[in-house]
Amino acid sequence: MLTPQEADSLFHTVRVMAEEGRTVIFISHKLHEVKAVSDRVTVLRCGKNVDTVETKDATPRSLAALMVGREVALAGRIERETEIGQVVLEVRDLWSVGDRGDDALRGVSLTVHAGEVVAIAGVAGNGQRELAEAVTGMRSSSRGDVTVDGRRLHAGDAREAIRAGVAHVPEDRLHTGVAPSLSIASNVALKSYRGKELARGPMLRLRAIREHAARLIRRYDVRGGGPDLPARQLSGGNLQKVVLAREFDGAPRVLVIASPTRGLDVAAIETVHRYLREAAAGGVGVLLISEDLDEILALADRIGVMYEGVIVGELDAGETTVEEIGLLMAGGARE
Amino acid sequence: MILAFGGINNSIVVVVLASAIVYGTPLLYAALGELLAERSGILNLGVEGMMLVGAVMGFWAVQRTGSLSVAIGVAAVAGAAIALIHAFLCVTLRANQIVSGLAITIFAGAAGLSSYLGNDLNLADQPARQAFGPILPHGWRTASVVGPIFFDHSAIVYASWICVAVVAVYLNRTRFGLNLRAVGEAPAAADAMGINVAAYRYVHTVIGGAFAGVGGACFSLAITPQWVDGLTGGAGWIAIALVIFAFWRPTLCLVGAYFFGAFSGIPITFQARGILSGIPPELFQALPYVMTIVVLVLVSTAGARRHIGSPAALGTPYVREER
Amino acid sequence: MIRIERRLSQPRWLTFAVPIGSVIVAFGVMTLVLLATHHSPGHTFRRLFDTGFVGSQSLNATFIAATPLVFTGLCAAIAFRMQLFNIGGEGQLYLGAVFGAAAGIALGNHTGWLSIPAMIVAGAAGGAALALIPAVLRAFFSTNEIITSLMLNYVAALVINYLIFDSLSYWRDTSSATAKVFPQGKNLPDAASWPAAHIGSLVLPFGLLLGFVIAAGIWLLYTRTKFGFEVQVIGDSPRAASYAGMRTRRKILAVMALSGAVAGIGGASQDGDFRHTLDPRGLTAAGYGYAGIVIAALARYNPFAVCLVAILLGGIQNAGYALQGVDFPSGLVGVMQGLILFCALGGELLIRYRVRFARSSRAAEAAA
Repeated sequence: MLTPQEADSLFHTVRVMAEEGRTVIFISHKLHEVKAVSDRVTVLRCGKNVDTVETKDATPRSLAALMVGREVALAGRIERETEIGQVVLEVRDLWSVGDRGDDALRGVSLTVHAGEVVAIAGVAGNGQRELAEAVTGMRSSSRGDVTVDGRRLHAGDAREAIRAGVAHVPEDRLHTGVAPSLSIASNVALKSYRGKELARGPMLRLRAIREHAARLIRRYDVRGGGPDLPARQLSGGNLQKVVLAREFDGAPRVLVIASPTRGLDVAAIETVHRYLREAAAGGVGVLLISEDLDEILALADRIGVMYEGVIVGELDAGETTVEEIGLLMAGGARE
Repeated sequence: MILAFGGINNSIVVVVLASAIVYGTPLLYAALGELLAERSGILNLGVEGMMLVGAVMGFWAVQRTGSLSVAIGVAAVAGAAIALIHAFLCVTLRANQIVSGLAITIFAGAAGLSSYLGNDLNLADQPARQAFGPILPHGWRTASVVGPIFFDHSAIVYASWICVAVVAVYLNRTRFGLNLRAVGEAPAAADAMGINVAAYRYVHTVIGGAFAGVGGACFSLAITPQWVDGLTGGAGWIAIALVIFAFWRPTLCLVGAYFFGAFSGIPITFQARGILSGIPPELFQALPYVMTIVVLVLVSTAGARRHIGSPAALGTPYVREER
Repeated sequence: MIRIERRLSQPRWLTFAVPIGSVIVAFGVMTLVLLATHHSPGHTFRRLFDTGFVGSQSLNATFIAATPLVFTGLCAAIAFRMQLFNIGGEGQLYLGAVFGAAAGIALGNHTGWLSIPAMIVAGAAGGAALALIPAVLRAFFSTNEIITSLMLNYVAALVINYLIFDSLSYWRDTSSATAKVFPQGKNLPDAASWPAAHIGSLVLPFGLLLGFVIAAGIWLLYTRTKFGFEVQVIGDSPRAASYAGMRTRRKILAVMALSGAVAGIGGASQDGDFRHTLDPRGLTAAGYGYAGIVIAALARYNPFAVCLVAILLGGIQNAGYALQGVDFPSGLVGVMQGLILFCALGGELLIRYRVRFARSSRAAEAAA
């Protein structure tokens, strides 16, 4: 993951290489990158060569249509009336140790209101993953607190965070978001199996779990198999729908959602974004962590930029530019 | 003067240190082999079985030919052959490496192939026709303190030092070593670089098996030159722990091997000299096993703190197109 | 050109066909081993089969051999389900035997049938106590449980040797005439003898039946309860488990304790059903714990399949001991177990993947 400025310089290098007479094959699903760097575009869909077009004749919209096989609404900013409610998530001076033993979070503070989408931008590895994990209780924090709906959570207690109404769509959906070899039904019940609807005392109500899953599969239009299919056999987009279905089903107060559309096709991205907007409209406070600035600009109300474990700048999504965010992502505010 | 030197050389510290090298040598060979396999991403829990097959076949070869070098060669080939089964199961058939390793130990171990061969070839209750003995000149061997500790050993001990150096240089200073580390850390990236992941895993698992076979032969040709069912007594498992203890580095394997070697040597030395004879012998015999556990705990807490881990892809089969 | 592709669905018949095929292939390889070492395969297999499975006398001996294997097989299966590799079934069985014998001796003949449940509980406690050592180390220090549990097997073997051969412990017989010449354990009182069920000419040891009941209990626990659900999730993806707020450490302790307890009951059954004394030589020579790993792997960690496979391997072991001699060398049983396991591991590939033989990519293109 590069900042927009770094990406520009990479594309420039690629162009220079091409001008020197080398052949460059550039594989991407980012339409503006393809537009910026290529001469000719070949679109693949379902393992088949759909079409090859000259870049100058193509528009992002026409390429997207080729990729999906139908017209799609590209992720553009949709102005909406944000009904911002009271504070649902407050993070104050949060410190946490990363996997490498250093401080990955060095005093992060932020607030999210009901109905608001707050995005965290940043180059991967600047503490975004640790922030998501610390807020959702998957990672212990060494200092600071996380407060949900006025209730202070214990550090590193994922169960308490779930009970407090924190939903979490993790970055690594295949190995964190689901248990890949278990059935869709089991994965839909991953957090709710303790509740009265799905269990009686220590025993599981297997039929209820299956029916519950079948209901959500229908409602969220998960395609590829029924409740008994192992989760790993779903495509990325359908897997993400399973995760979203489970997380929204718990009627959350806060949704922490990390790189929700990475690796998904244009149609699946459209769906995920629609669900996200619906959640916010329904009064959920959304903390969106993403490296995709187009996505952030399309969805967020406010943007915080993370650099080396701290939030180096807060921007209003309606008034900022990619360049401004990019500068902050590269640590520009520090100098 | 001479008597005093003899006295020092006969002192308990010197004797235990010398025995540490003797008993550490099979651990060292086995650990080097395990290290190579693990660096390629293959966890080999079958070391104990490979050692035993190496021990029995090495002993058979020496009885047949009377040649120790042939015996070591046969032991290495035998260990490698067993390792080839493991490599086939884990690399080609993508089997669970833990279960496959355990299967190897059961198949080849104390109640399996090694015992079958020992019985079938009538190797029990025979003295060895040849055994490894000290090779350096008498003057060196009897030098005070350093003599018995360092110079009173057989070729197989000195060869192990060369092996450590070779493996260390190979891993850190050659292109193959670099490729090997890449295969163990990030097989997908290595594959993209044009490195044949499967070939690297096969070769290093098999070479690792050869090392284990030689390690087993240390028992049947040097330490106790005879064949007894299960004579390695869990050394293969200690060697696996040793690799963790050594943070996957060959030179640290050397230190670790002699450390554990000392704990294997202590009960025998103490018993022979009647030291602490009031204490049940089982307490001493349990030492190497208990120390292995203690050291593993220390290393795993230290490793967690300093973030020195195993090769990232250790234990996971590599399949190109799979997520 | 051979291509290996992941199966999208796993046909049910494969889960039965593959283990059976594995056994057949293993016998095929075994034939080669026997031929290579100048034994007659037909003769060896025939005698193996007759001694293991034909006639009530053979079957009764097989049941005796299978009883400890049911326990150690369940022990391994319980832990392996959560990707906890408890290799310590061997040592946990020894300690179960130690504790079970202590309970039996202590209660004497005073409390009648209460001796039996007391021995079961004591054996379970002994096995669980030993299994908790690697469990605690794994849960709190993330120490590899494979090596620690294995090392404890050696320690446990030294412990029971010490109790009988090198000390005047509570378990050692110090009064009888033979005991003065050769160290041995105290004989357990009559009340500590476990009954057996007689069905026709078949004799089913109490321990075997108890093992079946425990297997059913484990199946219920793992497929029908919240506990079992958590074990499945942790076994499949520890990160997903921590994401879902499951308490992984507690589960490690609970599962290892349960696993050790089952092996421990196996040890108590050795005292109560068969040996009627603490018998270090017999227990350490048998290698029940290691065979249990083979059984669990062959049964693909399914408790009911463990019972079946235990009887199969029990038959082979029983025949192995009965026939030990010139045309049935010791070690052959281990070789066969290993071979069956290799084939099962290879067969696993056929369950998860589809193997395709394509002539060449050009031919495939032409076909398309």
